[in-house]
Amino acid sequence: MFKFAIRNLMSRSLRSFLCLMGLTIAIAGMVGLFSIAGGLEKTVSQTFGKITGIVAMQPGAPIPLFSRIPRSWGEEIGLIPGVAIVNAEIWSRVNMIEGKPVISPPRFLFGTEIPTRLQLKHGIYREAIYAGRFLSLEDQGSLNTIISKQIAEQHQKQLGDTIDVNGQEMTIVGLYETGSILLDVAIILDIEMVRTITRFDPNSVSCFYLEQSGNVKNDELVKNIKNHFKGRELASWQPTSLALASASQSNILKTLLNSIDQSLKGNSNEKLEKSNERQLKNKNHTEVQAATNSPKEIEKESSALDVRSASDWGDRLENFTADLDIFLGLMTGIGVLIAILSIINTMLMSVIERIVDFGILKANGWSNRDVILLITAESSLLGFAGGILGGLLGLLAIYIVNWKFANQVHLYASPGLLLFGVLFSTTLGIVGGLYPAWWTTRMTPIDAIRRG
Amino acid sequence: MIEVRNVEKIHQTGETEVRALQGVSCNFPGQVFSFILGPSGSGKSTLLYLMGALDKPTSGEIFVQNRSLSTLNRTERDTYRREKVGFVFQNFNLLKNLNALENVLAPYLPLGVSTEQKKRAEELLKQVGLGQRITHRPSQLSGGEQQRVAIARALLKRPLLILADEPTGELDTQTGAEIFQCLRDVSDQYKTTVVIVTHDERYIRDTDFILRLRDGKIAE
Repeated sequence: MFKFAIRNLMSRSLRSFLCLMGLTIAIAGMVGLFSIAGGLEKTVSQTFGKITGIVAMQPGAPIPLFSRIPRSWGEEIGLIPGVAIVNAEIWSRVNMIEGKPVISPPRFLFGTEIPTRLQLKHGIYREAIYAGRFLSLEDQGSLNTIISKQIAEQHQKQLGDTIDVNGQEMTIVGLYETGSILLDVAIILDIEMVRTITRFDPNSVSCFYLEQSGNVKNDELVKNIKNHFKGRELASWQPTSLALASASQSNILKTLLNSIDQSLKGNSNEKLEKSNERQLKNKNHTEVQAATNSPKEIEKESSALDVRSASDWGDRLENFTADLDIFLGLMTGIGVLIAILSIINTMLMSVIERIVDFGILKANGWSNRDVILLITAESSLLGFAGGILGGLLGLLAIYIVNWKFANQVHLYASPGLLLFGVLFSTTLGIVGGLYPAWWTTRMTPIDAIRRG
Repeated sequence: MIEVRNVEKIHQTGETEVRALQGVSCNFPGQVFSFILGPSGSGKSTLLYLMGALDKPTSGEIFVQNRSLSTLNRTERDTYRREKVGFVFQNFNLLKNLNALENVLAPYLPLGVSTEQKKRAEELLKQVGLGQRITHRPSQLSGGEQQRVAIARALLKRPLLILADEPTGELDTQTGAEIFQCLRDVSDQYKTTVVIVTHDERYIRDTDFILRLRDGKIAE
């Protein structure tokens, strides 16, 4: 039966080819789109799998770059049982490298407290050094830096060269490569030098990286630290912080962002004005007030620190990729709809052309079921071949994108996704062939033969 | 062997009714060469197709070996066509994607073709003079050769009945004579009842059974 089905498809090679292409492109599109989420998941698991410690930062800040917390809290954290090392970090976006603006991929100045950094049992960057050395105590107060292989290659720099970052000449003393596009973006140097270069608040840091001592479990330690900082006053980070941090009082964008924030929270304009006033007053307060406050936000029972382990980061990003999958599914749905219509059209035309053949087959004892099986065999073969070709085409596209934009994106199509693509495409083929197959059963054999 | 009892067939074309057969009753004897004769539109082919369970009569009944075709369900009708009846059509009706051998085996493709069936199909093709052309496709065969393939296809199932609708209608005189001889040979050899619809009376012999139709009725 399958041999007969293949012959039938081959006898209408152009039509079969066009239908196959429709399916191939739809499946390749599906593989390509879902590889975005797949790549993100893989990158996240690769990245956070390497991080064994815990990060303490401002509540609500998505990443340390946007976080501001009091520098003095580091000492307090260090006294909490179970905490072995506390390493202060400052993160800031790099605007210019070698006189050229940095847009994509982004680069970050990563200031780390060298003495405590060197005491960490596991240092992602330290362990990823492949040329030169990691920062040492002698590098404190200097512009000695280590950069990623990615950054070095982009700017054609080698060990011992100087690199101009935000107008500062830095000396490259080490090169690292973690293999993660999320990590290989940092230009690492002494925390105080980053503070000076970026004019970072002297009483704040972005976050603290902690390592636990002994057999203390991450979850338990996270709970203890959060409990310790319950009731402290530190505003949650909000998107408006971006505008408020640098804008004047009459900034239109600030007002707009505030309005959106407040309307989402259901607060009145009066409250909004009050909160803005309070924010301005607190601007120079020792505890950084990065965003608007409302009475509801600062609950006495909430912790002033957000403490996250690597698995928390992973979970958050997994939630994000799950949402992304829904969006990608909708996008793919359009392609799939076109593909299924293409199969129905192809098979229907093919069936109409061969209606006499089906009459002959029925006259020779083929049942309606046999005819339906033949037609769906043809359409499922198209679907199966489309799935295989689509998967291969998608993979090729992924390889090209990963090669061409190695520093910006990482797409990944898992074997599961490819298998799903083939099964899905075959199912589409079967479903697309059912209507034309049913159509042939409406006629008696002799009606079908007489049509010829 | 075949009893046609007061059969009526009305074709509905839109709002128009065409009365193809009007109360036809007759008996076709078994293992005999039978002809249905008559002008175009007399209902010859309609009667033939009803005997082959390709269509259903509007009223009346057809009995084959004392079993009414009207009582057969869809599956039984399919089985009847696959196992008991061989069809030979005017325009050969071969499947152009299959070669001669595969066309002969076509009725059994869904069930799976056995080695024995394949061997028998090759023998039948040799018997009808196509031993050297079994891998040829219909487009590579002449009209006469195609009709021989159709006859071999009809014979593979060792049918009770061969129904032929104008089997020589598209063939020249010599090839037509060869096809009739071929049909007579296999009918004698396999003791098969053959019913042929034709305009051409040249191939009729005295021993053949003849039914003449005119305007859907038996002509006196």
